[in-house]
Amino acid sequence: MGLTSRHSSRFTPIDFIADDTGLVARVQALLDDVEPDRAQMLEALHRIQHELGYVPKEAIPFLAAKFKTTPAMIYGVLTFYSEIRTEPPPRVEVQWCSGPACLLKGSRNIRLALEAEFGCGMNESAPDGALGLRLVQCDGTCHLAPLVRLNGRYIGPLTVTDAIQLARRLKEEARRA
Amino acid sequence: MAKLTINGREVEAPDGAPLVEVIKNAGIFISNLCYVDGLPPYAGCRTCVVEIEGMRGVQLACTTRVADGMVVRTDGEEAKRMRQAALSLIMSYHSDRCLTCHRIVKCKPGDTCLRDGVVTHRCLTCSKNYRCELQTTCEMLEMAGYEPWEGEERTYYTTPQPEPDRANPFLEFDPQMCIICTRCVRVCDEVRHTGAITLAGRFNPRIEFGAGGPVHESNCDFCGSCIDVCPTATLMEHPNKWAAMQTERWVPTACTWCSVGCSIFLGIKGGRGVIVKPDTAGNPFSRDQLCVRGRFHYDFVRPHQRLQRPLLLRDGARQEVSWEEALEYAASRLAEIREAHGPQAIGFLGSPLMTNEENYLLAKLARAVVGSPNLDSTAGPVARAALEAVREAFGTPVLPADLTRVPKARTLLVVAEDLESSHNVASVRVKDAVIREGARLIVVSPRYGELCDFATVWLQPRPGQEAAVLVSLLRSLARDGGAAPGLPEALPDPEPEGVEAGELARAADILREAVRDQSWRPLAFVYALPYLAPEHVRATAAALCGLAVLCLGDEAPSCLYVLPQEANVWGMLDVGVAPDLLPGYREAGSPADQGDMERLWGTPVAGGPGSDVWHMLQDAGGRLRALVVMGDNPLFFLPDRQRVEEALARLEFLCVIDSLDTATARLAHLVLPDSGPYSKEGTTTSADRRVLRLHVAASPAGESRPAWAILRDLSLRLAQRLGLGEVRLNYARVAEVMDELAEVVTLYRHARYQELDNGSQQSWDGLSPRAARVPTLRLPANGHGDGHLLLTSRGLYTSYEAAALGLEDADRLHREESLEMNPADAAALGIGPGDLVRVANDRGELVLPAKLTYGAAQGTVHLPLHYRGGAALSLFGPGEPAASVRLSRA
Repeated sequence: MGLTSRHSSRFTPIDFIADDTGLVARVQALLDDVEPDRAQMLEALHRIQHELGYVPKEAIPFLAAKFKTTPAMIYGVLTFYSEIRTEPPPRVEVQWCSGPACLLKGSRNIRLALEAEFGCGMNESAPDGALGLRLVQCDGTCHLAPLVRLNGRYIGPLTVTDAIQLARRLKEEARRA
Repeated sequence: MAKLTINGREVEAPDGAPLVEVIKNAGIFISNLCYVDGLPPYAGCRTCVVEIEGMRGVQLACTTRVADGMVVRTDGEEAKRMRQAALSLIMSYHSDRCLTCHRIVKCKPGDTCLRDGVVTHRCLTCSKNYRCELQTTCEMLEMAGYEPWEGEERTYYTTPQPEPDRANPFLEFDPQMCIICTRCVRVCDEVRHTGAITLAGRFNPRIEFGAGGPVHESNCDFCGSCIDVCPTATLMEHPNKWAAMQTERWVPTACTWCSVGCSIFLGIKGGRGVIVKPDTAGNPFSRDQLCVRGRFHYDFVRPHQRLQRPLLLRDGARQEVSWEEALEYAASRLAEIREAHGPQAIGFLGSPLMTNEENYLLAKLARAVVGSPNLDSTAGPVARAALEAVREAFGTPVLPADLTRVPKARTLLVVAEDLESSHNVASVRVKDAVIREGARLIVVSPRYGELCDFATVWLQPRPGQEAAVLVSLLRSLARDGGAAPGLPEALPDPEPEGVEAGELARAADILREAVRDQSWRPLAFVYALPYLAPEHVRATAAALCGLAVLCLGDEAPSCLYVLPQEANVWGMLDVGVAPDLLPGYREAGSPADQGDMERLWGTPVAGGPGSDVWHMLQDAGGRLRALVVMGDNPLFFLPDRQRVEEALARLEFLCVIDSLDTATARLAHLVLPDSGPYSKEGTTTSADRRVLRLHVAASPAGESRPAWAILRDLSLRLAQRLGLGEVRLNYARVAEVMDELAEVVTLYRHARYQELDNGSQQSWDGLSPRAARVPTLRLPANGHGDGHLLLTSRGLYTSYEAAALGLEDADRLHREESLEMNPADAAALGIGPGDLVRVANDRGELVLPAKLTYGAAQGTVHLPLHYRGGAALSLFGPGEPAASVRLSRA
């Protein structure tokens, strides 16, 4: 499927975007030296996510103008890669490994426990935005299975009890912070 | 051509054609749920499998190209099993279990499902029941009882389903019906070049609009092409969704909301239009495409909102009267005024919204019965200005240009203020040329339109300086030593404001290359006429003709496309609704042509040139005492509103024939209700002079009658009073009017209904181009005062009919109810998005919300023409392409 092509040399979207939060201006500054070439689209998304932690929806019209296509086409790319977020990340994120070794050792129960404790689903944030869960792929640390990652640390092997205790501790810390 | 055998039948097809299309065209059923005719295969649904002799296993018919000697079977056991298996996978995700149920024929909507408790959606309660491609496919593949998925095993039940989006007035989007065939995504992208729909996600792919929000917040322009290709009930028309299930018949007719003239089928239920779909075999230019106007505007004015009975102004109040009384009254008033002040005291306004036959009868009523040459239309001055330039350049008023060549062009120059909105399907075809043929596009427009996104160069002059841009291009090309007859030694040297010299040079280079290098041809010059400023239109048309002649010489007339705004502007002029033209482009004032008409009509004809619409209004109350207005609406389409209104009020007798109670009709002494565009027989003539048939589709409102019958009855009564002898005024059927028209107007020689229905086209005898020369180039002065320049042009979404009635929801999407202004201008005035702005000048003022967009150049603002009953024009003076206005925060 092709991306709808627009020729225009305009890099600003035609309609005025009220940029109250300054987000779009930040995105614009980030991409100043990115070539308006389709091949650079992922580079642009990476940069934005690296800087802001996510790709804000407000940036979509700007990206569409930059890469001479339509907002829908940008949205299609954004949602294709599960690593790219469209919502701000939670302050503390527990990354749950969905790898086969973890699954075999019962990580599904850990997932259910975490979801219940946090009160949110996978790849979502709890309503207050402090805690969130994210599904990640196996990165080969299977000797710790079943595991979760927290701020780059691996925690495992976990029992359901461990998971619940971990979740409660994180909630308590979030409440105090 | 390749000869192949399908199911034992010999079939011929072009070499390399997609096998699935060949099978379908041979009338053999082949399931295909993701293929779109004419687009590259997607091979997503895997249900089009066939067996081909000599090839291993089964093949997909969509990705297979036909070759000579191919032996294909669609009915083999293996192919059938595989199709069923593929379809069952698709169905595991679809909401309807009825599709595979053997009991479906016995079920009624109120019945409780006897199979199990988990059935939530049912075909019986779906608005697409029995017009659903998925359903038909299930029937044809004998899926009843085929059920590998036990109860809740189907993924449909384990996945939370998204909510349907019914927030906009046109398109319903119910994603839980979706089978992810992506036809809509591909059509929106590759056919419409809109790109409003995308396939989002990867593990749980889904269809989404824009940046994942509701449909109306995306850049979807509601053309409805996705509805046409959707095999399920995911994408549906919102208006009359349920009524359309019971469509009783499909009437082929033509859309009359712009001059492209798309051919449509109108679905009728109970005498009322309930659904529109494109008539792919009709107009070869529009083929399977329509725009929001063609698809949805049929429904903006309901029958009860049209005029029902004749209305007579008596003692300051309007009363319903019988036809007999109304026609008698009209005839007696016209006869009295003619008696007292002479035939010239009566004026006539025809309309491009009416059929050729009706305009012709109006011309006959004016010139032969009443004997008045005062005959025009509000669309007349602009159209005649363009025609004058064309005639000077090519010796004929009729261009032989065929729009179907536009999508094949390699270089295009489009002069239009937002072609996307004014002539939507023409804009799609220009984009076709750019995307599919890699054409280079130059757009000359003072304001952004979506087409600018596809332009290689967008020249954005100040309003009213389009002609200056074209003359600059002409000058640049002539400098290379290009010669053309009529090219003056000293060309004017305008410096169009707002256009950079570099951009202009780039545009000139593109044209130069097209002249030199055959691979950048065909060349196409497209000019969408504006509504205003005849003098500017003449200058622009002349410069464009000159440019075409310089680039192409004698080929120029067939590559020049002049698109008027309203549907039947050319037809109206063809049949002689103009003060200086007799039917068939005979010249008013020429004794020979007058004699010709007198011979054809058998009666004396007022052959002299008459007053145009502005002179008529100027003379109103003085030399002009009565005005007969058919379908026209001067209080909507003319600038200088105040003066027009005063002029109309000075008339002794104003008779309006219209299906709507327009602002003009509300001033009339007598209103005769016409039955409206969907309830009459006749023809209209498109921009490239295709004669398109209108058929009676909907029942006429109340006692309304088609305007041709009203004019006939009025003419007959008037002729009797005036003692007119031989002239033929009695027509039993409108077809007889066309039979006569075919004798009178060369262009329509082969347009008798019988011939039209057999696919005949117009006749060019005596109207072919006789010369190709550069017409006189006169650049109009641009004496604009200070302040901002207000532009107005036709929007895409506002219905003329609803706007003329002043209905609140004339623009149901509310996309065209604000003043477009440049963010820099807005900042200088302290205006934020959505703030109310006062737009004022000496003629009046308007207050409306601001929309900030870089599409409006600094110093200009834009207001759609149809906004609030054409309110924008109340700020315009006659002849102005843009009005000077003062802006302030309200």
